[in-house]
Amino acid sequence: MTITTASRPPSVRAEPSRAARRPWWRGRWPLAALLALLSVLTVSPFVAMFIVALSPAGRPTVPARWPESLTLDNITMVLSSSGFVTWTFNSLIYAFVSVVIILLTSSMAGYAFAKKRFPGREAMFWTFLATMMVPFQATLIPTFVLVNSLDGVDTFWGLIVPTLANSQAVFLMRQFILGLPDELFDAAKVDGASEWRVYWTIVLPLTKPILATLGVFVFLWHWNDFLWPLVVGQSDATRTLTVGLTTLRTEEMQLSLLMASAAVSVVPCLLVFFLLQRYLVNSIAMTGLK
Amino acid sequence: MRHRLRDPVTGLLFVLPVLVLFLIFRIFPSLGAAGMSLTNWNIGGEWDIIGVDNYARLLDDVNFWLSLRVTLVYSVVYVPLTMLVALGTALLLNQVVFMRGLFRGMLFLPYVTSFVLAGIVWRWIYEYNGLINGLLAKVDLGPVAFLEESGVVLPALAVVSVWKGFGYSMLILLAGLKAIPSSYLEAATVDGANAWQRFRRITLPLLKPTIFFVLVIETISAFQTFDTVYVMTGGGPARATYTLIYGIYDHGFRSFDFGYAATWGMVLFAVVLVVSLIQRRFLDRGNT
Repeated sequence: MTITTASRPPSVRAEPSRAARRPWWRGRWPLAALLALLSVLTVSPFVAMFIVALSPAGRPTVPARWPESLTLDNITMVLSSSGFVTWTFNSLIYAFVSVVIILLTSSMAGYAFAKKRFPGREAMFWTFLATMMVPFQATLIPTFVLVNSLDGVDTFWGLIVPTLANSQAVFLMRQFILGLPDELFDAAKVDGASEWRVYWTIVLPLTKPILATLGVFVFLWHWNDFLWPLVVGQSDATRTLTVGLTTLRTEEMQLSLLMASAAVSVVPCLLVFFLLQRYLVNSIAMTGLK
Repeated sequence: MRHRLRDPVTGLLFVLPVLVLFLIFRIFPSLGAAGMSLTNWNIGGEWDIIGVDNYARLLDDVNFWLSLRVTLVYSVVYVPLTMLVALGTALLLNQVVFMRGLFRGMLFLPYVTSFVLAGIVWRWIYEYNGLINGLLAKVDLGPVAFLEESGVVLPALAVVSVWKGFGYSMLILLAGLKAIPSSYLEAATVDGANAWQRFRRITLPLLKPTIFFVLVIETISAFQTFDTVYVMTGGGPARATYTLIYGIYDHGFRSFDFGYAATWGMVLFAVVLVVSLIQRRFLDRGNT
């Protein structure tokens, strides 16, 4: 860049700001139209799914014709099927227990890695980070064999516990707590507070924003998780919603019922999306959490 | 200070839960994967060390080379497509002010759902009497056998994953675009640079590190494709969608040939490691 802001003549400098003040339909309406088209295309599979889910069973629906009337029959049918309710319950347990334990253990470890001195701290931390390079699918077989030998297949602990070792969570908590000033923790300790009390009354409240972000992500990761629940949940007793949905086949059931099941399964994600969208968007931009 | 003396013990105690979880469920299985690939471990838990026999079998296995090719072809379709869509939408969101928040939300929406849901909905979209063929029939076209024809099925699967996942890369790229000082672009405008020149000479070079980050993330995720394959094609037709992870699942949980399945896992590990090392090399070069 050879031109600097200071060297620009004032008359020309006014140009961009005048352009910015132009009403949208004169300047960039073709781009806006393209963006609107892409946005509508992106949500259209969801819209189609909901229309079919709300169409009377066995009648022609989109794309052949618009349904003459909408009904909640499919949704109530799905919600009264015992399999579907069990899967939903299992998914809720899988997601919520994981959120609580991961938030607790990763904030404890993050605090220690950021603010405590103990032998092997760096080696341990970098080993944790190195495990990020090993994709879970590469260790799927040995993890399954291990859980199987501990009689964990088709149990809740077998489903949940192996997914709690989350290096992304530990890394995120450590980076966040590293940015907090030492004085906050030292002052409390001089006052004679125990380590656990410092963690509980100072670390946890101070890390609330990052814990909330992490909690949302852990919830989505587990609610949407598939491969591990597929191999470890071998009966309806521990099968999660994603695994349960794949056992439903169009050959054996009405399309409207299948789409209703899919629609109900996505409701928690949509809730998270509508309530916390700004939050999710900002944290992806800032932390790169995926 | 007295409390400093307590640090070694309390520090370790605070790390302990994570440490135990990692040792048992991450580090032990990582070493175990390498170990198991040298055995003929089966469903009964019986095993003998057979050396590198599994690796020799891998090299002779037509299905392994096929699955490597499937995964590679899939990546070659998926990665550029998702980069194009993510960069395109990010550039549009950066330009358009009109209802930007709404459009960003709509484009990002599929990201919060699961690949299983995407697979179920798109299986219907691609069916003979599904959404796309229904629409094509209205203009007397089709039907297209999206999931039954080996030449079409991989791009069809890639489109599903792009739809489900591009919102993430779009947000990362959008953050990168916002970090480019607007004064640079204004100055170029004053110099008479047109939109394409501004993009080519200013935006693109400054966005390079972000693009590279997204490229690595998306390449790794392309190599890990499984959910949509399981839901939509089951590896078919005629193994046209038999990806690397599908091979691990198939050998492990259909044939219960654990030792050999672990060997497939080692290949996945090697691929992801190479991609990560290339990334590190490029980043190091960028810093010096």
